[in-house]
Amino acid sequence: MAMVTLSNVRMRGLVCCVPRSTISNLDCPEEKKGERERLVRNIGIHTRRICYPWQYFSDLAKSAAETLLDAVGWKREEIDALIVVTQSPDYPIPSTAIILQDRMKLPTTTIAYDINLGCSGYPFGIYTVGSMLASGGIRKALLLVGDKCANLADPLFSDCGTATALEFDPSAPPIHFDLNSDGLGYRAIILPVGGHREPTQIHHLIPRKDADGETRRDTDLVLDGTAVLNFSTQRIPPALRALCDYAQTPLEQVDYIVLHQANRMINETIRKKLQLAPERVPSTLYDFGNTSSASVPLTMTARLRERLSAGPATLLLSGFGIGLSWGSCVLRTESLVMPGLVEV
Amino acid sequence: MSPAAPDPAALDAFVEQFVVAVDFQNPVPVAGDTRLADLPEWDSLAALGVIVMCDTEYGVTITGNDLKNCVTVGDILARVHAKKGG
Repeated sequence: MAMVTLSNVRMRGLVCCVPRSTISNLDCPEEKKGERERLVRNIGIHTRRICYPWQYFSDLAKSAAETLLDAVGWKREEIDALIVVTQSPDYPIPSTAIILQDRMKLPTTTIAYDINLGCSGYPFGIYTVGSMLASGGIRKALLLVGDKCANLADPLFSDCGTATALEFDPSAPPIHFDLNSDGLGYRAIILPVGGHREPTQIHHLIPRKDADGETRRDTDLVLDGTAVLNFSTQRIPPALRALCDYAQTPLEQVDYIVLHQANRMINETIRKKLQLAPERVPSTLYDFGNTSSASVPLTMTARLRERLSAGPATLLLSGFGIGLSWGSCVLRTESLVMPGLVEV
Repeated sequence: MSPAAPDPAALDAFVEQFVVAVDFQNPVPVAGDTRLADLPEWDSLAALGVIVMCDTEYGVTITGNDLKNCVTVGDILARVHAKKGG
């Protein structure tokens, strides 16, 4: 499909929720300090948020959604759809969205299901919900996006749940999308064990040292760093230019380019290739790490909240990663309802 | 790996950029014939830095497999030249 435009859809508001629990990538034995400082310099990630043992993605998303509903003044019975984009469901089945429909006391007439996407997920989620709204068949929808992906050993990932309010509005400016998939690269980011093709067995749980001397289990996420780096830095700059051409919105007219927060090397390479000033490409890597599909809305919240809630802005949002998949959208927001970051 | 001896000035410039890209914690003598496996920080992070450097400075996409086939720092430059068609 590649490029498509949705009309009659307005982004009304946005709330992000992170755990209070913070970990630093510099918390390490003294003899590892230098190595860790080099890591922080290069991946650009200092502190990360990690769920307490009793917290899950759905808890973060629920807190975000309830704060958002209060802020936009929507009644629960008005919610027509609740779509969740996550790779951290409460259970393999059923969908977390359906469980949340009940936990949030939404009506049983609510359309609720999950979408399995990671870092690229936010634009895909806006497109899915926007497509449902565009015809006017439904009027108000919640998009809950994010993951519980942090662990103590891995320095990249951080936990966050987000809620975005989208509504049918014939006066809304159009939203332009570019959405892509390349399954040839599916092994670049993969949990190879635990599905039907390779069910978890006892030997998968035995820790082993990898090439970098890190202890891993077969059940851990496998991330081919060089493949992901090349995919991101080769695919995204031309894709963003092409979308701006399609949207007839020159890149210079975009107020902010909000990229998935992958790591500093990837994000800086994309920014430099597009010749963008740093102030137009906000970053939350240092404070929040890579929060998967939540990183775009989290960066909008943590870095642009005052600006986006005060008036109109033209945004280019871009997510890229697992699949491989990459999706971007150009949208014009008007005084978004953004009550601020929620910490639980 | 390279069929022809690299231009010494080009190799010096590449080595300088390589050192910045790897981001050594302590200064390490590096030359074109330095073996990558002998460098204390030749790890996955260094590989990412070198790939970014080859892309931004030379306009060439070096893959993880390309790097695995390189023995010395000079081999990486040879790979860059080979991919660039020169």
